[in-house]
Amino acid sequence: MTTTTSSSPSISYLRFLGRVVVLAFSGTWRFYAWMTVLTAIALVGLNAWGHQLLNGMRVTDLSDHVSWGLYIANFTFGVGLAAGAVMMVIPAYLYDDHDMHDVVIIGELLAISAIVVCLGFIVVDMGRPDRMWHIIPGIGRFHWPVSMLTWDVLVLNGYLLINLHIAGYLMYQRYLGRPPRKRWYLPFVFLSIFWAISIHTVTAFLYQGLGGRPFWNSALLAPRFLATAFISGPAFVIVLLEVVRWSGKLTFGDGPINTLSRIMRVTVLLNLFMLGSELFTALYTGGAHGSAVRYLFFGSHGKHALVPYIWTAVALNVTSAVLLYLPRSRTSKRWLLAACGCAFLGVYLEKGMGLIVPGFVPSTLHETIEYTPTVTEWKVTAGIWALGLLVLTVAIKVGLAVWTGRVREREDGAARSADGAALGAEEEPLRDQHHGT
Amino acid sequence: MILSKEHASTDVALARRVQWPPAVRITALLAPAAIALACCGSDPPRALRPPPGPPTGRIEIHQPERLTSIASDQRDALGRPLRVACVTCHSQRVPTTLPSTVTELDEFHQGLRFEHGALSCGSCHVAGDQRSLRRADGTMIDMRDAMDLCRQCHGPQTRDYDHGSHGGMTGHWDLSVGGRVRNHCVDCHDPHTPAFQPSLPVLPPRDHGITRQPSRGDH
Amino acid sequence: MSGPNRRVALKVVGATLGAGAFAYAAQPVAQWGAGLSLEETLRRHYKELTPDELAQILRRLEAETKEKYGVDVRIDDIPAQEGVSFGYALNLSICIGCRKCAEACHQENNHDRRTNNSYIRVIEMEQGSFELERGTVDYDHAVPAPGKFYMPVQCHQCDDAPCVKVCPVEATWKEKDGIVVVDYDWCIGCRYCEAACPYHARRFNWREPEIPADEINPDQAYLSNRIRPQGVVEKCTFCLHRTRRGLLPACLEACPTGARVFGNLLDPSSDIRWVLENKRVYVLKEELGTRPRFFYFFDE
Repeated sequence: MTTTTSSSPSISYLRFLGRVVVLAFSGTWRFYAWMTVLTAIALVGLNAWGHQLLNGMRVTDLSDHVSWGLYIANFTFGVGLAAGAVMMVIPAYLYDDHDMHDVVIIGELLAISAIVVCLGFIVVDMGRPDRMWHIIPGIGRFHWPVSMLTWDVLVLNGYLLINLHIAGYLMYQRYLGRPPRKRWYLPFVFLSIFWAISIHTVTAFLYQGLGGRPFWNSALLAPRFLATAFISGPAFVIVLLEVVRWSGKLTFGDGPINTLSRIMRVTVLLNLFMLGSELFTALYTGGAHGSAVRYLFFGSHGKHALVPYIWTAVALNVTSAVLLYLPRSRTSKRWLLAACGCAFLGVYLEKGMGLIVPGFVPSTLHETIEYTPTVTEWKVTAGIWALGLLVLTVAIKVGLAVWTGRVREREDGAARSADGAALGAEEEPLRDQHHGT
Repeated sequence: MILSKEHASTDVALARRVQWPPAVRITALLAPAAIALACCGSDPPRALRPPPGPPTGRIEIHQPERLTSIASDQRDALGRPLRVACVTCHSQRVPTTLPSTVTELDEFHQGLRFEHGALSCGSCHVAGDQRSLRRADGTMIDMRDAMDLCRQCHGPQTRDYDHGSHGGMTGHWDLSVGGRVRNHCVDCHDPHTPAFQPSLPVLPPRDHGITRQPSRGDH
Repeated sequence: MSGPNRRVALKVVGATLGAGAFAYAAQPVAQWGAGLSLEETLRRHYKELTPDELAQILRRLEAETKEKYGVDVRIDDIPAQEGVSFGYALNLSICIGCRKCAEACHQENNHDRRTNNSYIRVIEMEQGSFELERGTVDYDHAVPAPGKFYMPVQCHQCDDAPCVKVCPVEATWKEKDGIVVVDYDWCIGCRYCEAACPYHARRFNWREPEIPADEINPDQAYLSNRIRPQGVVEKCTFCLHRTRRGLLPACLEACPTGARVFGNLLDPSSDIRWVLENKRVYVLKEELGTRPRFFYFFDE
């Protein structure tokens, strides 16, 4: 990387990082209050996790029958959220949607935060996080390509790195006031699109490939995962964009939100259709293969722990579909936001508790042993989401400050002209890269 | 480990067939190989222990005390019935005839339950010789060989017993290391009432999930 | 006090409070970390150890057991035997459901006493149905009960074991004699194997096992019945600390009816071969293609 500013590249990069840190710790009282609340929740989670480490996972309600629960449910949802963020990248780069291009950085930052959440849930679900290094390729014993979990490690961390690179590179170039070079980010953008699909496919394969769990052992699982990802991702982004707009840190038109809600109008129906198809297969065929579905929706052997979750999820998903198709949601932000809230929550319940736990109930020996998360599990879960929101808040705060040019290498514009003189052959004018491809 | 190698070889085959450019071919060749190497190429081979030798261990049949003694109504300090050896009485009292039904039994033999087909006492027992049993063909056998008596009628069980699939055992599966002790028919089946007697099961499951929920429900 | 100064003071107070809260919240994590042994955390995989390193680990584990449980135990590493491939068969016609096998497993393998843990789960089923869903495991009436039959389920030591496939760190693998083992000191506790196993054969140590000193079986093996640490997965090893020394598994010895048949599949004269060749054999969930080494059979 060449730079014609007076300082050397490494010094200037360090200065960039320093300013990012300062930016992350300064703000209005509202910002402080929000960050304090999140930190407090995260610390409660950390404390609960510590107790879980000390006393063993008996503090959860997990058992040898239901060996994964709330943590893995949240992990799965988180992967969907991370993958869903790609629904901003695809219109921006594949369909050359200029409006989306202006806000696409938010999708990348959301992906990063969501992956942080996912990794957090994996760590707290591990019985021995002290041995985490065993899963590092080349250092531990990486059971690749046989174990789907090793694929998940690769794709999740890869997705994190790709997005960190894209967001980091684009922001740093903005900071320097120079147009980014296509060859340094565009291949990664296309890779990230492919990769986003793959993280959720691999996560679905994690469950889908288990012959002993008929509830998961369905080819429809990966498509369902993607459909739900493309509900929860856009729903969250729409809400996030409204928050950003409200904060006044970035101005943009309604284009991105319209595009995202159009995507949701397709995916909510697709998801309901696929859910119905699964239900039909399970219930019409009957027999042992449908017993998990019967337990999930109606309870069995006098046990009904998941029934409220799944019917709430179905109700929310149907409501969100209805709301999205009402003409009001196209004109009224409030209606649209309500639809997004319903969709987000509905997918959270359906894909979390409604998809992970029934894989274990009835157990492989057909015992009906229930699972209800304990307070410790909820504390840890809340803590990880708070951590994710902390990361997201800081990332967006810093990101927007850099993106909109409020923070840059030289305030007086001297750097720009100096840079401008050094524009190489492969460097496009700023506007071009912005709407390029 | 094996799977990774297979993966590597299929990739090589694929690369050859399609005639990809050299760079692609080298990558296809090297990437899985490198990972296979990094993952599991460094295991030192583990030595196996030598195979089992010729069988030298003896198979013994446990001798149940029921063959040589009988429970009295007295109990020992641990509450077990005190057993009295048959010879204690029968060395002096030598009955000349066998009873025709269990109701005629007296002393220690009172209250004996008999539910074993249409057999009678004389089918097996010999009047005046409590140490011997009589087979259907009239030949006498020692009480310790009581299983020969069972074998006369219970063919399938005998066959299964002889192949280790009926009747418990302890000891070695590998007879080149040591012997084995087999249960006697009478260890589990009282010859007078041979049906296996029901008993309460032990060690109920108490794992997480079962304890919290008293029962699996209504079936 | 001027504005900026107050701001700075507030920030300092906030930072102090924050640091205090963090220290308090992180206390249990720190306590957990302090209890870890660096030697154990950084050791290499079982298959990569030299004989000396392995011997050192065994002695360390013996010392740790002494310290924690107050008993002298012997932990051996017993390799598989050439020409031996284990198989196990269970006669459903004569099993009476007494759970003596489960109890023997519980004692032999140093299971946690509070949970009655055992690698064997005995299901009481309805005569005339093979529907597991109609079975019970916590029956407490006299057995055999009329109209019922009993099916003990334990690790099937599958030749195409889903649990081995899914393990991300190769903490579990298949040995030459067919036994699927777990290295309890390598397992990261992700429980993917528990999700993958179709036979409910795996158990997780939800807490550190609790066993009175006088009940601990001191005859232990590294890959088998040594007392497991908290947070790792364990499973039936066909009692490899016994069977690799030629002995019968504990569950077989405890069986009062002789419903269990164990032996070397490579020995044509073995009892297990006779059963497989002459009896009506049933493989549980055979359709899953896991190729178990555990078989059920029936008399006539």
